[in-house]
Amino acid sequence: MTLFNVILIAIMIIGAIASVMVKNILSSVIIFMVYSLMMAIVWQQLNAPDMAITEASVGAGVTTILFVLALRKMRMIKK
Amino acid sequence: MKTKIIENIVKILIPLIQVFGIYVILFGHISPGGGFAGGSILGSSIILFRFVYGSEHTDKKYPYKYLMRTVSIALIMYGSLKGMLFILDHFGIDKIIPVGVPNTFLSGGSIIPLNIMIGLVVTITFYFIAILFEEGELEYEHASE
Repeated sequence: MTLFNVILIAIMIIGAIASVMVKNILSSVIIFMVYSLMMAIVWQQLNAPDMAITEASVGAGVTTILFVLALRKMRMIKK
Repeated sequence: MKTKIIENIVKILIPLIQVFGIYVILFGHISPGGGFAGGSILGSSIILFRFVYGSEHTDKKYPYKYLMRTVSIALIMYGSLKGMLFILDHFGIDKIIPVGVPNTFLSGGSIIPLNIMIGLVVTITFYFIAILFEEGELEYEHASE
């Protein structure tokens, strides 16, 4: 396991803990998006580029859009 | 929040996103990607267009009626083509559709039309889910006239 993978997994673990612990919900959603992007790079390192594209487009794109829309609907952030 | 800067940047960015999504759909059988991944990329491009340009302009550009018609026709054609392939495979005559030259665009037999239909269905479904989250209903009064 190279140093690059160690850094990626460290960022993922820190992000997973931080997205639960952070008080502001919008920050939590953005940290979750960073976690998802790191997960996409890890899939690419594990020789699964198909999974990486799906994770990057669904996990970092559409899921974040839906979370932000839900926050706007609950009036937790300004329009 | 709608400024001239965002409108002009999105005007440049959206064709590039859509070309990349169409590439991922069309080359799903020889490179990473496929119908679901490319469809979600295309769907997020249409969602971005709706957020920047507003719902009335987008409803004129992508009318609800035609989107619903497209997704229904794509689902029916996907189901009938895939079911026909299963039945033909049971009788051992699934070699009717030519396989093509390996590692070129025309290879993989019936995977290209199946990927295109999955891409259409996923694109429009993600777009509809985002509209439902944002506005609570799909069809507006000004769109139904």
